[in-house]
Amino acid sequence: MSNDVQKSKRYFLKGLSTIIGGVAASSLLRGNGLAVAMAYSTNTNDKTAITKVFSKSQLAILKQVCAIVIPKTETLGAAEVDTHGFIDNQLFHCFSKSAQQKAVSLLTLIDKQAQQSHSSTFVALSDEQQFQLLTALDLGKIPFGQTQRTDFKKLKKLICFGYYTSEVGASQELRYVAVPGGYKGSIPYKSGDAAWGSKGLSY
Amino acid sequence: MSENYYINESTEIYDAIVIGSGISGGWAAKDLCEKGQKTLMIERGRVVEHRKDYIGENTPPWQQDYRTKVDNLLVEEKYKIQQQCYAFADATKHFFGNDKDLPYTTKSGTDFSWIRANQLGGKSLLWHRQSYRLSDYDFNANKLDGYGNDWPIRTKDIENWYSHVERHAGISGTNDNLPNLPNSEFLPPFEMSSPEKMLKAKFAELFPERPLIMGRTAHLTQPTKLHLEQGRVQCQARNECQAGCSFGGYFSTQSSTLPAAAKTGNLHIAPNSVVHSLIYDEQSNRVKGVRVIDNNDLSEREYFARVVFVCASTIGSTQILMNSKSNKFPNGIANSSGVLGHYLMDHNYNAGASGTVAGFEDEIDYGRRPTGLIIPNFYYQPDGKRNFLRGYALAGGASREGWQSLQHQDGLGIDYKNKLKQAGKWKFGLYAQGEMLPRFENQMRLHPTLKDKWGIPQVEFDCRFSDNETNMMIDAAEQAEKMLKSAGLTDVHSSVSHGPPGLAIHELGTARMGRDAKTSVLNGYNQSHDIPNLFVTDGASFCSSAVQNPSLTFMALTARAVDYAVKELKSKRI
Repeated sequence: MSNDVQKSKRYFLKGLSTIIGGVAASSLLRGNGLAVAMAYSTNTNDKTAITKVFSKSQLAILKQVCAIVIPKTETLGAAEVDTHGFIDNQLFHCFSKSAQQKAVSLLTLIDKQAQQSHSSTFVALSDEQQFQLLTALDLGKIPFGQTQRTDFKKLKKLICFGYYTSEVGASQELRYVAVPGGYKGSIPYKSGDAAWGSKGLSY
Repeated sequence: MSENYYINESTEIYDAIVIGSGISGGWAAKDLCEKGQKTLMIERGRVVEHRKDYIGENTPPWQQDYRTKVDNLLVEEKYKIQQQCYAFADATKHFFGNDKDLPYTTKSGTDFSWIRANQLGGKSLLWHRQSYRLSDYDFNANKLDGYGNDWPIRTKDIENWYSHVERHAGISGTNDNLPNLPNSEFLPPFEMSSPEKMLKAKFAELFPERPLIMGRTAHLTQPTKLHLEQGRVQCQARNECQAGCSFGGYFSTQSSTLPAAAKTGNLHIAPNSVVHSLIYDEQSNRVKGVRVIDNNDLSEREYFARVVFVCASTIGSTQILMNSKSNKFPNGIANSSGVLGHYLMDHNYNAGASGTVAGFEDEIDYGRRPTGLIIPNFYYQPDGKRNFLRGYALAGGASREGWQSLQHQDGLGIDYKNKLKQAGKWKFGLYAQGEMLPRFENQMRLHPTLKDKWGIPQVEFDCRFSDNETNMMIDAAEQAEKMLKSAGLTDVHSSVSHGPPGLAIHELGTARMGRDAKTSVLNGYNQSHDIPNLFVTDGASFCSSAVQNPSLTFMALTARAVDYAVKELKSKRI
C-alpha cells in the first residue's frame, strides 16, 4: 500500500476518532481499509514503462507537452507526476478509439511541425521553442488550424484532469480536505490562495 | 448490529413480509418491528453492511483506477444504462444494477432510463436526499385540472406521519412558512454562501413570490439523541454520499431504519431473494406469502406471512403485482380496476440557466455542502394564461470556479498553472424540476415473451413527456434566465434539453391510490382495494408527481400504512 493510501486513511481515521471515538473508528476502517487502491501507479522510469496507446517516442513528446502546459514551480509539474503515463492509461480505458487516435495524431503533428520549423524533434527543441510551438497550437495560429486547436484543448483537458487529480495536484498545488467536518458558507480568501482540490470531483 | 437475522429457507408464518429494503421497505420493516410484528424483509440483491461494504468511501481520486471515471469495457458490459445516472462513478458503481442481468424494453419510438439499485438498502444508499413535504396544493392538483384521479388524502391525514419520519431520519432545513411547501421538523439548515445570501435578498425584492431557500435534506447538521442512538453522527460535508457514509451523516436504510428494526429482535432478512410473484388464496381472498427465485442459484422457495408490504420500488412493485396472476386476477393481482401499470410518471429535469456573480472575491466556501438551494414551485395555483398545467421548482446554488472550468482558457506554463491554482469567479445556476402529468397512456407492462434470467417477464415501458412537460421546460429556462439577469448576473446562458423520462429517478404511479376501487389500485391507506392484507407503499402509489422529490412522502405513507395495517391486524379485519 502506498504512502498516499495510508495518509488519506489516516486523515479519515483522525476525523472519525474525533467524532465517534478511536476504537469505533478503527473497527470501522477494517472493512474498507482493506480495499487496496488499484489505482494507476506512477511510473518513475519512462524507459521501462509499458504503454497502451502511445509509442515510447510519442510518450516522450507527451511528457514534454505536459511539462510545458503545467510546469514545475514551487510544486511539481505535470511531467514530474507522470501525467503523460496517466493519460496513456486513461485514454486506453475510458476513451473511444477515435479519441485515442486523435491524441496520437496530434503528437505526431507536433513532432512534424518541429521538424518543419526547426529541423529537430520536438523533444530536442529548447523550452522556449516548445513553448512557442504549443502556444501557436493552443491559439490555432499559423501553421495550425482550428481543428488542431480543438484537439489540443482536449489534450490540455486530459493533462489538467491528470494533474489536478494526482496527489500532488490535488493536495499540494491545491488544497485537499478529505473530511471537512462541516460546511461553512464563507471563509476568507485572498488572491494567490490555492483553491480546493477536493471539490468538483464526481463520487 | 447482529448478523444472525439473515435467513434463507423458512417455513415460519411471519406477521409481516416486506418486499424491498430501500427507503420504503426500511421504514415498513422498522415500524412493523417496533409495533411487535415478526417481520421478514425480502431483498433481491446482496447484503451491503453499513460501513464495511462502502468500498469506495473516502478514496481520493489518485487512488482510484481511473481517477473517478469508470473503465469503458466495464460500462459497455454492465452499466450502459446505469452510467447515465449523475451519481454513477468509480466509488459508487457497485451500488448500481448490472444492466446485462436486468434487461427491459421500451416501446418503439419511446425511451426510458431505468436506474437500478438491487442490494440491501436499495436506492436509499444512492438517493440525493432532498426531502420535502407535499402541500394541499399538490394533493388538490389532479382534482382541479382533471388529469389523473383525486388523491384520497390531504395534508391533515399525513402531516403527523411526516413529523414521525422526519424526527427519526433527520431533515435539515429552514422554517420558511410557505403555503406551497409545508415546514418539516427541522434540524438546523446548512449555511448559504455570501453570493447566495445576496441573491436570496435580491429575489425577495424582485420576485417576492419566488423565495430562494436552503435545500431541505436528510443530513444530520446537528444530530439529536435519537440519531446518536442509531449510531449516526454529524454530517462531515464530504458530499461523497453515494459511496456510502460511515458517519451515518445521511439517512439510508443501513444508517437509520435497519438498526432501529434490528434492535427490536423482530427482524429477519432474506437477501438474494428475487420475488417472482405473490401467493394468493382465492378462498380467503388473502395474500399468503411470496414466491422467490434465488438471486444466485435460481432455485425456488416461498415465504409466508399474514400481511404483505410491497416496497420494491415503483416499477419493481408493479412488476411483481403484474406477474402474480390467478383465475380471479388474470391481469395481475389487485388489478380489478385495470389501471395497474398506468399513469407512470417521473420528474422532468430538462432546463436550466446559469451565470456569473460579480464580487465576493475575498471569500470562498469551506467543505462540500451536500445540498443546493431551491426556489419552490411558484406556479402552485392554476392559471389559464400559461401554456402548460402544473409547475416546477428551480434548484441551484453558487460556487467559485475551479480548475474544471478555468482549464478551458487559452494559455500554457507558469501563468496558466497559477490561474488554475486559484479560485475563479462565483457562478450561480438554477435548474428546473418539473411536474409530469399523470396520463393513462404512459405505462409499463410485462413483455409477452421476453424474460430475465430468473424467469420473470421483462418490463416494457411506453412512456414519454408530452407537450405539457416540454412547454414547461421552455418556460423554466426563460424564467430562470430572466431571474438571473434581473439579479445582475452576467454571462447568463439558459438551455432546454430533451432527456427521456427515468433519469430524475423519481418513477411514480402505476398502482395509484384512490377512493374508488374501480379506478385505483390502493385505498387511502395504501391498502389494496381488492385484497385487504396487501399494501403497496412506495412511489407506485402516487396519484400525481407533484414537483417535490418524493422520498420523504414514501416514508410518511409507509409509516402511516403500517400503523393502519397493524390496527387492522389486531382487530382481525385482515
